[in-house]
Amino acid sequence: MSHEVLEFDGISTGLLEKGKADGAETIWDRQAAMKAKCGFGDKGICCRICAMGPCRISPVEGKGAQRGLCGATADTIVARNFARMVCGGASAHSDHARDIAHVMHIANKEGNYKVKDVGKLMNLAKEWGVNTDDREPNDIAHEIAEIALNEFGKPFGVQRLLVRAPEQRQKIWKDLKIEPRAIDREIATLMHSTHIGCASDAESILDLCMRTSLADGWGGSWIGTELSDIMFGVPTARGTEANLGVIEENMVNIMVHGHDPSFSEMVVLAAEDPELLALAKEMGAAGINLVGMCCTGNEVTMRHGVKIAGNFYQQELAIMTGAMEAVMVDVQCIFPALAKLADVYHTQFISTSPKAKMEGSIYIEFEEDHALDICKKIVRGAVENFKNRDKEKVMIPEAKNSAVVGYSVETVIQHLDKVVNSQTDVFNTVKPLSDVIWAGVLRGAVGIVGCNNPQVEHDKSHITIMKELIKNDIIVVTTGCAAQAAAKAGLMTMEAKELCGRGLKEVCERVGIPPILHMGSCVDISRILDIVSRVAIERGLDNSDLPVTGVAPEWMSEKAVSIGTYVVSSGINTYLGVTPQVTGSEYFVDLLTNKLEEKVGAKFIFEEDPVECARLMMEDIEAKRDKLGI
Amino acid sequence: MNLFKIIYSGKDQYLDLAESMVKKIIEEKGRDAQVKFPSTAYSLPVIYAITGEKISTTGELEKALELAKEFIHEGNRLQDALDAGTASAMLAEIIEAVKYTMEEEPYKAPLQGHLTDAQIRAFGVPLVTQDIPGVAVIIGKCKDSETAAEIIKDYQAKGLLTFMVGEVIDQAIEQNVKMGIDLRVIPLGYEIESVIHVVSVAIRASLIFGAVEPGDFEAHKKYTKDRVKAFVNVFDDWDDKIIAAGAAAIELGFPAVTETFINEVPTLLLHQPNNEKVVETSLEVRNIKIKVTKIDIPVGVASAFEGERIRKND
Ligand code: SF4
Ligand code: SF4
Repeated sequence: MSHEVLEFDGISTGLLEKGKADGAETIWDRQAAMKAKCGFGDKGICCRICAMGPCRISPVEGKGAQRGLCGATADTIVARNFARMVCGGASAHSDHARDIAHVMHIANKEGNYKVKDVGKLMNLAKEWGVNTDDREPNDIAHEIAEIALNEFGKPFGVQRLLVRAPEQRQKIWKDLKIEPRAIDREIATLMHSTHIGCASDAESILDLCMRTSLADGWGGSWIGTELSDIMFGVPTARGTEANLGVIEENMVNIMVHGHDPSFSEMVVLAAEDPELLALAKEMGAAGINLVGMCCTGNEVTMRHGVKIAGNFYQQELAIMTGAMEAVMVDVQCIFPALAKLADVYHTQFISTSPKAKMEGSIYIEFEEDHALDICKKIVRGAVENFKNRDKEKVMIPEAKNSAVVGYSVETVIQHLDKVVNSQTDVFNTVKPLSDVIWAGVLRGAVGIVGCNNPQVEHDKSHITIMKELIKNDIIVVTTGCAAQAAAKAGLMTMEAKELCGRGLKEVCERVGIPPILHMGSCVDISRILDIVSRVAIERGLDNSDLPVTGVAPEWMSEKAVSIGTYVVSSGINTYLGVTPQVTGSEYFVDLLTNKLEEKVGAKFIFEEDPVECARLMMEDIEAKRDKLGI
Repeated sequence: MNLFKIIYSGKDQYLDLAESMVKKIIEEKGRDAQVKFPSTAYSLPVIYAITGEKISTTGELEKALELAKEFIHEGNRLQDALDAGTASAMLAEIIEAVKYTMEEEPYKAPLQGHLTDAQIRAFGVPLVTQDIPGVAVIIGKCKDSETAAEIIKDYQAKGLLTFMVGEVIDQAIEQNVKMGIDLRVIPLGYEIESVIHVVSVAIRASLIFGAVEPGDFEAHKKYTKDRVKAFVNVFDDWDDKIIAAGAAAIELGFPAVTETFINEVPTLLLHQPNNEKVVETSLEVRNIKIKVTKIDIPVGVASAFEGERIRKND
């Protein structure tokens, strides 16, 4: 078993040895079995979108097959493959958002789901022109939900949230004809365009990719975040703990894994149910310990401080502790392997979404109408399962770190208010942030997002880049599994300011924040778009003028491809620590890493070495500053 | 506006001046002439506190220049800029030390220039216990004398200690503002370098009352930030030297408020064009809390001042 990729993670090695003895199979075993990757797929020059294929293009120009049977070139094939990744990613985020809108639509006083943040609801109602006079919040919410649902398939117009971008940015989108219209429409259209015999011009396919991705960032994801906040509360700063050490030996451990907060919010409630707590005690446990993983973990930690068991690559490890009574999952980023792995232990692996029935899992369908009852049933099962735990097989790594999480845009602004002088400035703006950037106290800001990927040492790129940046007075905002890497590494503590340059340290002290801000789950990257756009608008500039970049050091999912594409399309240079499967087309690589800049003022940069990646970003940021004369 | 470049340019001007003055004094007085400020046990107090080195002869001023230069590294991180501020303060002290070596009495009444240890001891305890609730350092020239007098008197009535640098001194004189250490209004000098004499007060407070070791700059910075509630007001246009001095102030924990626009840094560098609000702005930014009731001068009852929160949204 080779797991050099884990070298950076000191705690997992022992667990893997134990897993081997238990007969557990992990991603690293499967990676070893996979042997060398297929070069065609790796370069993106394998096409199987029609039954004349699969076709593959020779990676050597002028030698071997240069075209598919239909005549598609490497450029076309690479572009189409990339496009379909964008579609996959945008669809995942958007369907997630759609579910939340549906939940909002059934909000009522007596039910499980009610509006939690009336203020945010009212703001959105105002923005969307919804009448609020003498209306009950749930009633307003129904109308908002319906409008939101129409964003997915409305026949005319463009996405409503585009107006939150700086005007210059909106104009670029309009001029390039990439303003996203309806979310589902963009996904469907791009699937259409990449069908055999449709679009073959790579550049136009990339334009469509941008439009579809924008339908994600400025549509699906943003709607998801906005409505989640309204329904479940705007996250506020709170403490938590992260890493496998949060699993408790003397408690019933339940892991919630996946993405959708309408599910996980109910799990949180169920795990607090007094009756079930009493049952846990009866079973000889000290209580119920709910822990989170991946983005659902982020959602519940942001709103409730639920502890983070780990990020993407640790999902198997969490079960291999032997102390996990149940893993409850919904959708996205859940290894199908968990079913087989759970069988090695007493763990109940429970899938709940009809969109993600997992082979070998216990399927308990999650129905919004009686959400809490279903979650209680699952938790009850987990509690009863405590007695089946094999103590011989338990091994919980001791590692965990504390973290402060919950930095929604609203919470960031609230913190910024602390440094506002009431005599010179107004409250409730991002001006303090823009001021310190303009003064040079902070050189800039970087959003670090994305997954884990066994192509690179787990978490190492995340952490290396984070440390480099904060040392150099660049503030980091982060989401997803990158955020969880930071939490595990102790970078989300107030003490982490000691790792910063003087400028960022002063900011952390005065504003009362850690140097790395956890802004939430992957859909919450919309929060990053929000804050960047607010700073740009504050200065009368476009996003592409600002000294900010985005980076996905260890990305792996199609969602990450959609995210990267909408971030670039929003004017923010995006660094990828894992090279996407596009290198089979020099032309397409040139589009992504070069030509896009002329169009949208930003581009992709591929850099697998984290130190070099951080250096390039800092250079990029300084160049932007020079251009602004700051 | 590249704020750091402004600071570096100001620092360069101090450096040029300090170097030429040191050269001149060595030419005139040789290397062994004694260099010291009147009646202080702390040599060149700022340099002594920062580096632990006592400078006592003209020849040693060259070493002082070297010590200042160790803080010069023009990078683009805040620490680089603040270090340029520290260098500027050290260079200003060298410039002032040369003045005191050239002449017996470079500052003539009503100008104060250097304050003796005894003078500092006289108000030092109430200063560090914050019975004197704060120290205002006014630099430049107000738009008219009335405004200058109003602001100074406002600080005076609130029990603050006010130091003046520049033409604001003449404006205060014109308005018959009563001045003197007892009255807590102290005209330092006309040139920006004379601002070092108030920095010297803060740093000697740290040496004397804080018993902080000379050379432990970090501890001095912490002491001045926590205990000496000073701040700077800059009127009229600022120049690069003023901003470089401002960087030194910020390094000691003292915020600056400017009348002319400057790129703001929340809690450290503020732009307040409205003269009527400058006092409130300054008190708020330095977190100085004063009883609203105004009291008559001379201010012997400062210890009666008690905290009251000023910030609106607290
Ligand atoms: S679409 Fe063209 S390149 Fe792709 S599999 Fe069919 S024939 Fe081959
Ligand atoms: S960051 Fe990547 S791995 Fe983690 S939850 Fe999001 S998409 Fe999945």
